Amino acid sequence: MTATVIDDELAFAGRDKAAVVGIGQTAFSRDSGRSVLSLATEASLKAIADAGLTVDDIDGIVRCEQDNVRPYSLAAAIGAKNLHYWADTGPGGVAPCMMMGLAMGAVMTGQAKAVLAFRSLNGRSEMRLGGTGRHDAIEVVGGFGSYDEFYLPYGLQSAGQTFALMARRHMLEYGTTAEQLGAVAMACREHANQTPHAQMNGRPMSMDDYLASRMISTPLRMFDFCLESDGACAVVITSAERAKDLAKPPVLIRAVAGGAPQDHRPGMMFPVVSREDMTELGGRQAGAELWRRAGVGPEEMDLAQIYDCFTISVILQLEAYGFCGKGEGGPFAASGALRKGGQLPINTGGGHMSEGYVHGMNHIVQAVRQLRGEADMQIPDAELCMCTGGPLPIGSSVVFRKAA
Amino acid sequence: MGAHSLLPFTQDRDTAGFFEAAAEGRLVFKACLDCGHALHPPTDHCPRCGGWNTAWKDAKGTGRLHTWTTVMHQIHPDFPAPYTLVVVELDETPEVRLMGRLQGEPELREGMPMEVWFEPLGEGGPVLPQWKPVEA
Ligand SMILES: [Zn+2]
Repeated sequence: MTATVIDDELAFAGRDKAAVVGIGQTAFSRDSGRSVLSLATEASLKAIADAGLTVDDIDGIVRCEQDNVRPYSLAAAIGAKNLHYWADTGPGGVAPCMMMGLAMGAVMTGQAKAVLAFRSLNGRSEMRLGGTGRHDAIEVVGGFGSYDEFYLPYGLQSAGQTFALMARRHMLEYGTTAEQLGAVAMACREHANQTPHAQMNGRPMSMDDYLASRMISTPLRMFDFCLESDGACAVVITSAERAKDLAKPPVLIRAVAGGAPQDHRPGMMFPVVSREDMTELGGRQAGAELWRRAGVGPEEMDLAQIYDCFTISVILQLEAYGFCGKGEGGPFAASGALRKGGQLPINTGGGHMSEGYVHGMNHIVQAVRQLRGEADMQIPDAELCMCTGGPLPIGSSVVFRKAA
Repeated sequence: MGAHSLLPFTQDRDTAGFFEAAAEGRLVFKACLDCGHALHPPTDHCPRCGGWNTAWKDAKGTGRLHTWTTVMHQIHPDFPAPYTLVVVELDETPEVRLMGRLQGEPELREGMPMEVWFEPLGEGGPVLPQWKPVEA
Protein backbone atom coordinates (compact mmCIF):
# COMPACT_ATOMS: atom_id res chain seq x y z
CA MET A 1 0.00 0.00 0.00
CA THR A 2 1.23 3.46 -0.88
CA ALA A 3 0.24 4.89 2.49
CA THR A 4 2.51 2.43 4.30
CA VAL A 5 5.50 3.52 2.26
CA ILE A 6 4.90 7.16 3.11
CA ASP A 7 4.52 6.33 6.82
CA ASP A 8 7.78 4.43 6.81
CA GLU A 9 9.64 7.27 5.15
CA LEU A 10 8.49 9.51 7.97
CA ALA A 11 9.42 6.91 10.60
CA PHE A 12 12.99 6.93 9.34
CA ALA A 13 13.17 10.65 8.56
CA GLY A 14 14.23 11.48 12.10
CA ARG A 15 17.20 9.12 12.11
CA ASP A 16 20.33 10.99 13.29
CA LYS A 17 18.70 14.37 12.56
CA ALA A 18 18.71 15.68 16.15
CA ALA A 19 21.42 15.54 18.78
CA VAL A 20 21.91 15.93 22.50
CA VAL A 21 24.47 18.69 22.83
CA GLY A 22 24.42 19.59 26.51
CA ILE A 23 23.98 17.74 29.80
CA GLY A 24 23.66 18.97 33.36
CA GLN A 25 22.81 17.61 36.77
CA THR A 26 22.71 18.60 40.41
CA ALA A 27 24.11 16.54 43.24
CA PHE A 28 21.92 13.55 44.14
CA SER A 29 21.04 13.41 47.82
CA ARG A 30 18.52 12.36 50.43
CA ASP A 31 17.60 15.96 51.18
CA SER A 32 18.51 18.75 48.80
CA GLY A 33 17.14 21.40 51.16
CA ARG A 34 16.06 23.32 48.03
CA SER A 35 12.96 23.62 45.88
CA VAL A 36 12.55 21.49 42.78
CA LEU A 37 12.56 24.71 40.72
CA SER A 38 15.96 25.58 42.17
CA LEU A 39 17.26 22.11 41.29
CA ALA A 40 15.84 22.29 37.76
CA THR A 41 17.37 25.72 37.28
CA GLU A 42 20.84 24.52 38.28
CA ALA A 43 20.71 21.41 36.06
CA SER A 44 19.35 23.41 33.12
CA LEU A 45 21.94 26.20 33.33
CA LYS A 46 24.69 23.58 33.50
CA ALA A 47 23.29 21.78 30.42
CA ILE A 48 23.06 25.02 28.45
CA ALA A 49 26.62 26.01 29.39
CA ASP A 50 27.88 22.50 28.62
CA ALA A 51 26.48 22.87 25.10
CA GLY A 52 28.20 26.21 24.62
CA LEU A 53 24.81 27.91 24.27
CA THR A 54 23.15 30.72 26.23
CA VAL A 55 19.66 30.90 27.74
CA ASP A 56 18.64 33.08 24.81
CA ASP A 57 19.18 30.07 22.53
CA ILE A 58 16.63 27.94 24.39
CA ASP A 59 13.23 28.24 22.70
CA GLY A 60 11.67 24.93 23.72
CA ILE A 61 11.16 23.06 27.00
CA VAL A 62 9.77 19.54 27.47
CA ARG A 63 9.10 17.83 30.77
CA CYS A 64 7.57 14.90 32.63
CA GLU A 65 3.89 15.47 33.44
CA GLN A 66 4.59 14.51 37.08
CA ASP A 67 7.21 17.22 37.51
CA ASN A 68 6.22 19.98 39.91
CA VAL A 69 8.27 22.42 37.83
CA ARG A 70 6.23 23.94 35.00
CA PRO A 71 8.01 24.64 31.70
CA TYR A 72 7.08 28.33 31.82
CA SER A 73 8.29 28.64 35.43
CA LEU A 74 11.62 27.12 34.45
CA ALA A 75 11.87 29.50 31.49
CA ALA A 76 11.26 32.39 33.86
CA ALA A 77 13.74 31.11 36.42
CA ILE A 78 16.60 30.62 33.96
CA GLY A 79 15.75 33.81 32.11
CA ALA A 80 14.86 32.23 28.75
CA LYS A 81 12.97 34.98 26.95
CA ASN A 82 12.51 33.21 23.63
CA LEU A 83 10.22 30.34 24.65
CA HIS A 84 8.11 29.23 21.66
CA TYR A 85 7.50 25.52 22.30
CA TRP A 86 6.66 23.38 25.33
CA ALA A 87 5.18 19.95 25.92
CA ASP A 88 4.53 17.40 28.66
CA THR A 89 4.85 13.67 28.34
CA GLY A 90 4.66 10.64 30.58
CA PRO A 91 3.47 8.79 32.41
CA GLY A 92 6.09 9.09 35.15
CA GLY A 93 9.33 7.32 34.37
CA VAL A 94 8.17 6.59 30.82
CA ALA A 95 8.72 10.30 30.08
CA PRO A 96 12.47 10.80 29.44
CA CYS A 97 12.72 8.69 26.27
CA MET A 98 9.50 10.24 24.97
CA MET A 99 10.96 13.69 25.73
CA MET A 100 13.73 12.86 23.24
CA GLY A 101 11.01 12.19 20.65
CA LEU A 102 9.17 15.42 21.43
CA ALA A 103 12.39 17.42 21.19
CA MET A 104 13.42 15.73 17.95
CA GLY A 105 9.99 16.41 16.44
CA ALA A 106 10.04 20.05 17.55
CA VAL A 107 13.51 20.63 16.09
CA MET A 108 12.70 18.88 12.80
CA THR A 109 9.43 20.74 12.27
CA GLY A 110 10.80 24.15 13.07
CA GLN A 111 8.80 24.55 16.28
CA ALA A 112 11.99 25.01 18.26
CA LYS A 113 15.70 25.37 17.55
CA ALA A 114 17.06 24.23 20.92
CA VAL A 115 14.97 22.25 23.38
CA LEU A 116 15.65 21.79 27.06
CA ALA A 117 14.43 18.47 28.54
CA PHE A 118 14.51 18.07 32.31
CA ARG A 119 13.35 16.15 35.38
CA SER A 120 13.56 17.56 38.87
CA LEU A 121 12.32 15.98 42.05
CA ASN A 122 12.77 15.89 45.78
CA GLY A 123 11.94 12.19 45.59
CA ARG A 124 13.21 11.48 49.08
CA SER A 125 12.63 14.62 51.14
CA GLU A 126 9.28 15.81 49.75
CA MET A 127 7.35 13.65 47.27
CA ARG A 128 8.20 10.00 47.90
CA LEU A 129 6.93 7.92 45.00
CA GLY A 130 6.62 4.66 46.94
CA GLY A 131 3.26 5.60 48.42
CA THR A 132 4.76 6.67 51.73
CA GLY A 133 3.30 10.16 52.01
CA ARG A 134 1.03 11.36 54.79
CA HIS A 135 -2.44 9.89 55.19
CA ASP A 136 -5.60 11.55 56.39
CA ALA A 137 -8.16 9.84 58.64
CA ILE A 138 -10.49 8.63 55.90
CA GLU A 139 -9.66 8.74 52.24
CA VAL A 140 -11.84 7.83 49.27
CA VAL A 141 -9.60 6.52 46.52
CA GLY A 142 -9.91 5.78 42.83
CA GLY A 143 -12.47 6.61 40.19
CA PHE A 144 -12.33 8.92 37.18
CA GLY A 145 -10.35 6.49 35.07
CA SER A 146 -7.66 5.76 37.66
CA TYR A 147 -9.16 2.34 38.54
CA ASP A 148 -7.35 2.64 41.87
CA GLU A 149 -10.60 1.61 43.61
CA PHE A 150 -9.83 -2.00 42.58
CA TYR A 151 -6.38 -1.99 44.19
CA LEU A 152 -5.60 0.61 46.89
CA PRO A 153 -8.38 -0.43 49.33
CA TYR A 154 -6.98 -3.98 49.29
CA GLY A 155 -3.54 -2.79 50.36
CA LEU A 156 -1.86 -2.84 46.94
CA GLN A 157 -0.35 0.58 47.39
CA SER A 158 3.04 0.83 45.71
CA ALA A 159 5.05 0.10 42.61
CA GLY A 160 7.25 -2.21 44.69
CA GLN A 161 4.29 -4.40 45.65
CA THR A 162 3.13 -4.47 42.02
CA PHE A 163 6.53 -5.54 40.73
CA ALA A 164 6.70 -8.10 43.55
CA LEU A 165 3.55 -9.73 42.13
CA MET A 166 5.22 -9.75 38.67
CA ALA A 167 8.48 -11.11 40.08
CA ARG A 168 6.60 -13.99 41.77
CA ARG A 169 5.01 -14.86 38.40
CA HIS A 170 8.39 -14.80 36.68
CA MET A 171 9.80 -17.09 39.36
CA LEU A 172 6.84 -19.49 39.06
CA GLU A 173 7.02 -19.65 35.26
CA TYR A 174 10.75 -19.53 34.58
CA GLY A 175 12.45 -20.49 37.83
CA THR A 176 14.03 -17.05 38.24
CA THR A 177 15.96 -16.85 41.52
CA ALA A 178 16.84 -14.26 44.13
CA GLU A 179 20.51 -14.58 43.16
CA GLN A 180 19.63 -13.71 39.55
CA LEU A 181 17.81 -10.58 40.72
CA GLY A 182 20.81 -9.87 42.92
CA ALA A 183 23.11 -9.96 39.88
CA VAL A 184 21.26 -6.90 38.54
CA ALA A 185 21.61 -5.00 41.81
CA MET A 186 25.29 -5.94 42.10
CA ALA A 187 26.14 -4.81 38.55
CA CYS A 188 24.58 -1.41 39.25
CA ARG A 189 26.41 -1.16 42.58
CA GLU A 190 29.76 -2.04 41.01
CA HIS A 191 29.27 0.69 38.44
CA ALA A 192 28.31 3.20 41.15
CA ASN A 193 31.52 2.37 42.93
CA GLN A 194 33.42 3.66 39.89
CA THR A 195 31.26 6.80 39.71
CA PRO A 196 32.19 9.40 42.36
CA HIS A 197 28.88 11.30 42.32
CA ALA A 198 26.76 8.14 42.71
CA GLN A 199 24.82 7.98 45.97
CA MET A 200 26.12 4.46 46.68
CA ASN A 201 29.73 5.24 45.74
CA GLY A 202 32.09 3.83 48.34
CA ARG A 203 29.57 1.22 49.48
CA PRO A 204 30.42 -2.10 47.83
CA MET A 205 27.80 -4.85 48.02
CA SER A 206 28.34 -8.62 47.98
CA MET A 207 25.73 -11.25 47.12
CA ASP A 208 25.54 -12.03 50.83
CA ASP A 209 24.82 -8.35 51.55
CA TYR A 210 22.09 -8.42 48.91
CA LEU A 211 20.50 -11.61 50.24
CA ALA A 212 20.69 -10.33 53.82
CA SER A 213 18.77 -7.14 53.05
CA ARG A 214 15.30 -7.16 54.58
CA MET A 215 12.22 -8.32 52.72
CA ILE A 216 9.99 -5.43 51.67
CA SER A 217 7.33 -7.26 49.67
CA THR A 218 8.12 -10.92 48.94
CA PRO A 219 10.00 -11.95 46.87
CA LEU A 220 11.59 -8.47 46.65
CA ARG A 221 14.16 -7.26 49.18
CA MET A 222 15.37 -3.76 49.97
CA PHE A 223 18.23 -4.04 47.47
CA ASP A 224 15.79 -5.01 44.72
CA PHE A 225 14.47 -1.46 45.07
CA CYS A 226 15.90 1.70 43.56
CA LEU A 227 17.02 4.64 45.67
CA GLU A 228 14.79 7.54 46.55
CA SER A 229 16.64 10.71 45.63
CA ASP A 230 16.51 14.48 45.52
CA GLY A 231 18.06 15.84 42.35
CA ALA A 232 17.61 17.12 38.82
CA CYS A 233 18.97 16.34 35.37
CA ALA A 234 18.64 18.31 32.15
CA VAL A 235 19.76 17.94 28.55
CA VAL A 236 19.68 20.22 25.50
CA ILE A 237 18.63 18.94 22.07
CA THR A 238 19.16 20.69 18.75
CA SER A 239 19.57 19.72 15.10
CA ALA A 240 22.46 17.45 14.16
CA GLU A 241 23.60 20.12 11.72
CA ARG A 242 23.83 22.86 14.32
CA ALA A 243 25.36 20.41 16.81
CA LYS A 244 28.53 20.20 14.72
CA ASP A 245 29.47 23.77 15.71
CA LEU A 246 28.83 23.44 19.46
CA ALA A 247 31.13 22.83 22.40
CA LYS A 248 30.92 19.06 22.90
CA PRO A 249 30.93 16.02 20.60
CA PRO A 250 27.29 15.60 19.53
CA VAL A 251 25.35 12.50 20.49
CA LEU A 252 22.76 11.74 17.84
CA ILE A 253 19.22 10.58 18.55
CA ARG A 254 19.14 7.57 16.26
CA ALA A 255 15.53 6.53 16.95
CA VAL A 256 12.76 6.83 19.54
CA ALA A 257 9.74 4.57 20.03
CA GLY A 258 7.13 3.88 22.67
CA GLY A 259 4.91 0.84 22.83
CA ALA A 260 1.80 -0.61 24.47
CA PRO A 261 1.66 -4.27 25.50
CA GLN A 262 -0.31 -6.81 23.49
CA ASP A 263 -2.85 -7.30 26.29
CA HIS A 264 -3.25 -3.65 27.17
CA ARG A 265 -5.58 -2.61 30.00
CA PRO A 266 -6.75 0.86 31.00
CA GLY A 267 -5.32 2.57 34.09
CA MET A 268 -1.81 3.11 35.44
CA MET A 269 0.40 0.31 36.78
CA PHE A 270 -1.86 -1.83 38.98
CA PRO A 271 -4.00 -3.30 36.12
CA VAL A 272 -0.88 -5.16 34.91
CA VAL A 273 -2.09 -7.97 37.20
CA SER A 274 -4.90 -8.67 34.72
CA ARG A 275 -2.67 -9.01 31.65
CA GLU A 276 -2.85 -12.50 30.19
CA ASP A 277 0.92 -12.65 30.69
CA MET A 278 1.79 -10.25 33.48
CA THR A 279 5.51 -10.56 32.80
CA GLU A 280 5.02 -9.04 29.32
CA LEU A 281 5.76 -5.35 28.84
CA GLY A 282 4.96 -2.72 26.24
CA GLY A 283 8.73 -2.67 25.86
CA ARG A 284 8.37 -5.58 23.45
CA GLN A 285 6.25 -3.45 21.11
CA ALA A 286 8.40 -0.37 21.74
CA GLY A 287 11.55 -2.36 21.02
CA ALA A 288 10.29 -3.88 17.76
CA GLU A 289 9.55 -0.41 16.44
CA LEU A 290 12.71 1.11 17.93
CA TRP A 291 15.04 -1.39 16.24
CA ARG A 292 13.15 -1.03 12.96
CA ARG A 293 13.44 2.74 13.04
CA ALA A 294 17.07 2.63 14.18
CA GLY A 295 18.16 0.09 11.58
CA VAL A 296 20.27 -1.62 14.24
CA GLY A 297 19.39 -4.35 16.71
CA PRO A 298 19.96 -5.15 20.38
CA GLU A 299 23.06 -7.20 19.51
CA GLU A 300 24.72 -4.02 18.20
CA MET A 301 24.40 -2.04 21.43
CA ASP A 302 27.71 -1.41 23.16
CA LEU A 303 25.88 -0.71 26.41
CA ALA A 304 22.42 0.19 27.69
CA GLN A 305 20.72 2.21 30.39
CA ILE A 306 17.79 0.03 31.48
CA TYR A 307 15.14 1.63 33.69
CA ASP A 308 15.79 0.02 37.06
CA CYS A 309 13.00 0.92 39.43
CA PHE A 310 13.42 -2.68 40.63
CA THR A 311 15.76 -5.52 39.73
CA ILE A 312 12.89 -7.50 38.19
CA SER A 313 12.09 -4.51 35.95
CA VAL A 314 15.52 -4.89 34.33
CA ILE A 315 15.08 -8.64 33.78
CA LEU A 316 11.66 -8.15 32.19
CA GLN A 317 12.98 -5.41 29.91
CA LEU A 318 16.05 -7.39 28.81
CA GLU A 319 13.55 -9.96 27.54
CA ALA A 320 11.09 -7.45 26.08
CA TYR A 321 13.69 -5.50 24.11
CA GLY A 322 15.25 -8.68 22.73
CA PHE A 323 18.58 -8.79 24.57
CA CYS A 324 17.67 -12.36 25.57
CA GLY A 325 14.77 -14.76 25.12
CA LYS A 326 11.56 -14.84 27.12
CA GLY A 327 12.24 -16.23 30.57
CA GLU A 328 16.03 -16.03 30.08
CA GLY A 329 16.54 -12.67 31.79
CA GLY A 330 17.62 -14.23 35.08
CA PRO A 331 20.38 -16.46 33.67
CA PHE A 332 21.45 -13.60 31.35
CA ALA A 333 21.94 -11.30 34.36
CA ALA A 334 23.67 -14.03 36.37
CA SER A 335 26.13 -14.68 33.50
CA GLY A 336 27.83 -11.35 34.22
CA ALA A 337 26.53 -9.84 30.97
CA LEU A 338 25.41 -6.64 32.69
CA ARG A 339 28.78 -5.78 34.26
CA LYS A 340 31.58 -3.75 32.74
CA GLY A 341 33.35 -6.05 30.29
CA GLY A 342 30.18 -8.15 29.88
CA GLN A 343 28.02 -8.60 26.80
CA LEU A 344 25.77 -5.65 27.68
CA PRO A 345 27.02 -3.37 30.45
CA ILE A 346 24.00 -1.57 31.88
CA ASN A 347 23.46 1.46 34.08
CA THR A 348 27.09 2.42 33.81
CA GLY A 349 26.83 5.22 36.39
CA GLY A 350 25.01 2.99 38.89
CA GLY A 351 21.49 3.61 37.60
CA HIS A 352 18.45 4.15 39.78
CA MET A 353 19.65 1.33 42.00
CA SER A 354 22.89 3.00 43.03
CA GLU A 355 23.54 6.33 41.28
CA GLY A 356 20.31 8.16 42.06
CA TYR A 357 16.65 8.11 41.11
CA VAL A 358 15.86 10.96 38.76
CA HIS A 359 12.97 9.13 37.16
CA GLY A 360 14.85 7.98 34.05
CA MET A 361 16.56 11.27 33.27
CA ASN A 362 19.94 10.33 34.80
CA HIS A 363 19.98 7.40 32.36
CA ILE A 364 19.82 9.85 29.44
CA VAL A 365 22.67 11.93 30.89
CA GLN A 366 24.75 8.79 31.47
CA ALA A 367 24.18 7.58 27.89
CA VAL A 368 25.43 10.91 26.55
CA ARG A 369 28.52 10.85 28.79
CA GLN A 370 29.41 7.37 27.55
CA LEU A 371 29.06 8.26 23.86
CA ARG A 372 31.16 11.39 24.37
CA GLY A 373 33.80 9.28 26.07
CA GLU A 374 33.63 11.31 29.28
CA ALA A 375 32.02 8.85 31.71
CA ASP A 376 33.65 8.05 35.05
CA MET A 377 33.43 4.33 34.25
CA GLN A 378 33.93 4.62 30.51
CA ILE A 379 32.97 1.69 28.26
CA PRO A 380 35.77 1.64 25.64
CA ASP A 381 34.80 2.57 22.07
CA ALA A 382 31.11 3.02 22.93
CA GLU A 383 29.21 4.06 19.80
CA LEU A 384 25.63 2.85 20.34
CA CYS A 385 23.67 3.02 23.58
CA MET A 386 19.98 2.38 24.16
CA CYS A 387 17.93 3.79 27.02
CA THR A 388 14.58 2.63 28.30
CA GLY A 389 11.89 4.43 30.25
CA GLY A 390 9.67 3.12 33.02
CA PRO A 391 8.19 -0.29 32.11
CA LEU A 392 4.56 0.31 33.21
CA PRO A 393 1.94 0.81 31.95
CA ILE A 394 3.53 1.34 28.53
CA GLY A 395 7.14 1.30 27.39
CA SER A 396 9.50 3.86 25.89
CA SER A 397 12.97 3.65 24.42
CA VAL A 398 15.64 5.53 22.53
CA VAL A 399 18.86 4.66 20.71
CA PHE A 400 21.71 7.17 20.90
CA ARG A 401 24.64 7.11 18.52
CA LYS A 402 28.04 8.76 18.68
CA ALA A 403 28.36 11.18 15.76
CA ALA A 404 30.80 9.97 13.10
CA MET B 1 -8.94 -6.54 59.62
CA GLY B 2 -8.52 -3.31 61.50
CA ALA B 3 -9.70 0.14 60.68
CA HIS B 4 -10.88 0.92 57.18
CA SER B 5 -9.77 4.35 56.29
CA LEU B 6 -9.05 3.71 52.61
CA LEU B 7 -12.43 3.45 50.89
CA PRO B 8 -13.05 2.75 47.21
CA PHE B 9 -14.80 5.47 45.22
CA THR B 10 -18.04 3.70 44.28
CA GLN B 11 -19.70 6.31 42.04
CA ASP B 12 -17.46 6.02 38.99
CA ARG B 13 -19.47 5.68 35.79
CA ASP B 14 -17.42 2.72 34.58
CA THR B 15 -16.93 0.85 37.85
CA ALA B 16 -19.89 1.61 40.15
CA GLY B 17 -21.73 -1.58 39.11
CA PHE B 18 -18.97 -3.72 40.65
CA PHE B 19 -19.44 -2.12 44.07
CA GLU B 20 -23.26 -2.00 43.83
CA ALA B 21 -23.25 -5.77 43.29
CA ALA B 22 -20.72 -6.32 46.08
CA ALA B 23 -23.03 -4.42 48.46
CA GLU B 24 -25.66 -7.06 47.62
CA GLY B 25 -23.22 -9.91 48.14
CA ARG B 26 -22.73 -10.61 44.44
CA LEU B 27 -19.49 -10.75 42.45
CA VAL B 28 -19.78 -9.37 38.91
CA PHE B 29 -17.49 -8.58 36.02
CA LYS B 30 -17.98 -6.50 32.90
CA ALA B 31 -18.22 -8.37 29.61
CA CYS B 32 -19.09 -7.81 25.96
CA LEU B 33 -22.45 -9.37 25.12
CA ASP B 34 -21.56 -9.60 21.42
CA CYS B 35 -18.22 -11.43 21.51
CA GLY B 36 -17.97 -12.57 25.12
CA HIS B 37 -14.71 -10.70 25.84
CA ALA B 38 -14.37 -9.88 29.53
CA LEU B 39 -13.36 -6.31 30.36
CA HIS B 40 -11.29 -5.63 33.45
CA PRO B 41 -10.71 -2.95 34.55
CA PRO B 42 -14.20 -2.33 33.18
CA THR B 43 -14.92 -0.19 30.14
CA ASP B 44 -18.18 0.19 28.25
CA HIS B 45 -16.61 -0.31 24.82
CA CYS B 46 -15.22 -3.65 23.70
CA PRO B 47 -11.80 -3.28 22.07
CA ARG B 48 -11.96 -6.82 20.65
CA CYS B 49 -15.10 -6.51 18.48
CA GLY B 50 -15.63 -2.76 18.59
CA GLY B 51 -19.09 -3.06 20.11
CA TRP B 52 -20.76 -1.00 22.82
CA ASN B 53 -23.04 -3.82 23.98
CA THR B 54 -21.43 -4.51 27.36
CA ALA B 55 -22.98 -5.47 30.69
CA TRP B 56 -22.20 -6.77 34.19
CA LYS B 57 -22.29 -10.55 34.44
CA ASP B 58 -22.55 -12.64 37.60
CA ALA B 59 -19.46 -14.63 38.53
CA LYS B 60 -19.56 -17.89 40.46
CA GLY B 61 -17.21 -16.47 43.04
CA THR B 62 -14.50 -19.07 42.59
CA GLY B 63 -11.07 -18.76 41.10
CA ARG B 64 -7.42 -19.78 41.15
CA LEU B 65 -4.46 -18.10 42.80
CA HIS B 66 -2.30 -16.52 40.08
CA THR B 67 0.34 -14.67 42.11
CA TRP B 68 0.84 -13.15 45.55
CA THR B 69 3.16 -11.03 47.67
CA THR B 70 3.55 -10.78 51.42
CA VAL B 71 3.96 -7.14 52.34
CA MET B 72 6.60 -6.93 55.11
CA HIS B 73 7.22 -3.18 54.92
CA GLN B 74 4.16 -1.27 56.01
CA ILE B 75 3.14 1.76 53.97
CA HIS B 76 -0.30 2.77 55.24
CA PRO B 77 -0.96 3.10 58.98
CA ASP B 78 -4.19 1.11 58.75
CA PHE B 79 -2.66 -1.80 56.84
CA PRO B 80 -0.36 -3.41 59.42
CA ALA B 81 2.34 -5.67 57.98
CA PRO B 82 2.66 -8.49 57.40
CA TYR B 83 -0.30 -9.06 55.11
CA THR B 84 -0.53 -10.95 51.87
CA LEU B 85 -1.94 -9.61 48.62
CA VAL B 86 -3.42 -12.24 46.32
CA VAL B 87 -4.30 -12.02 42.63
CA VAL B 88 -7.13 -14.40 41.77
CA GLU B 89 -8.12 -15.44 38.26
CA LEU B 90 -11.86 -16.04 37.88
CA ASP B 91 -12.88 -19.60 36.96
CA GLU B 92 -15.26 -18.23 34.28
CA THR B 93 -12.64 -16.24 32.43
CA PRO B 94 -8.88 -15.89 32.66
CA GLU B 95 -9.35 -12.32 31.40
CA VAL B 96 -10.41 -11.08 34.83
CA ARG B 97 -8.06 -11.11 37.80
CA LEU B 98 -9.07 -9.53 41.08
CA MET B 99 -7.23 -8.52 44.23
CA GLY B 100 -7.69 -9.90 47.71
CA ARG B 101 -5.92 -9.57 51.05
CA LEU B 102 -5.08 -12.28 53.58
CA GLN B 103 -3.77 -11.70 57.07
CA GLY B 104 -0.19 -12.56 57.89
CA GLU B 105 1.98 -14.89 55.84
CA PRO B 106 -0.22 -17.85 54.85
CA GLU B 107 1.15 -20.92 53.07
CA LEU B 108 0.08 -20.51 49.42
CA ARG B 109 0.68 -22.29 46.12
CA GLU B 110 0.12 -21.34 42.50
CA GLY B 111 -3.26 -22.36 41.13
CA MET B 112 -4.84 -23.15 44.50
CA PRO B 113 -8.64 -22.83 44.51
CA MET B 114 -9.95 -19.62 46.04
CA GLU B 115 -13.44 -18.45 46.96
CA VAL B 116 -14.92 -15.00 47.37
CA TRP B 117 -16.28 -13.44 50.57
CA PHE B 118 -17.57 -9.96 51.15
CA GLU B 119 -15.93 -7.50 53.51
CA PRO B 120 -18.01 -4.49 54.60
CA LEU B 121 -15.77 -1.50 55.23
CA GLY B 122 -17.43 -0.21 58.37
CA GLU B 123 -21.11 0.45 59.15
CA GLY B 124 -22.96 1.43 55.97
CA GLY B 125 -19.67 1.69 54.08
CA PRO B 126 -18.73 0.14 50.75
CA VAL B 127 -18.20 -3.62 50.45
CA LEU B 128 -15.09 -5.25 49.01
CA PRO B 129 -15.14 -8.69 47.43
CA GLN B 130 -12.27 -10.53 49.15
CA TRP B 131 -10.71 -13.97 48.56
CA LYS B 132 -9.63 -16.88 50.73
CA PRO B 133 -8.33 -20.37 50.01
CA VAL B 134 -11.11 -22.95 49.67
CA GLU B 135 -11.18 -25.09 52.83
CA ALA B 136 -9.80 -28.54 52.05
ZN1 LIG C 1 -16.80 -7.60 22.00
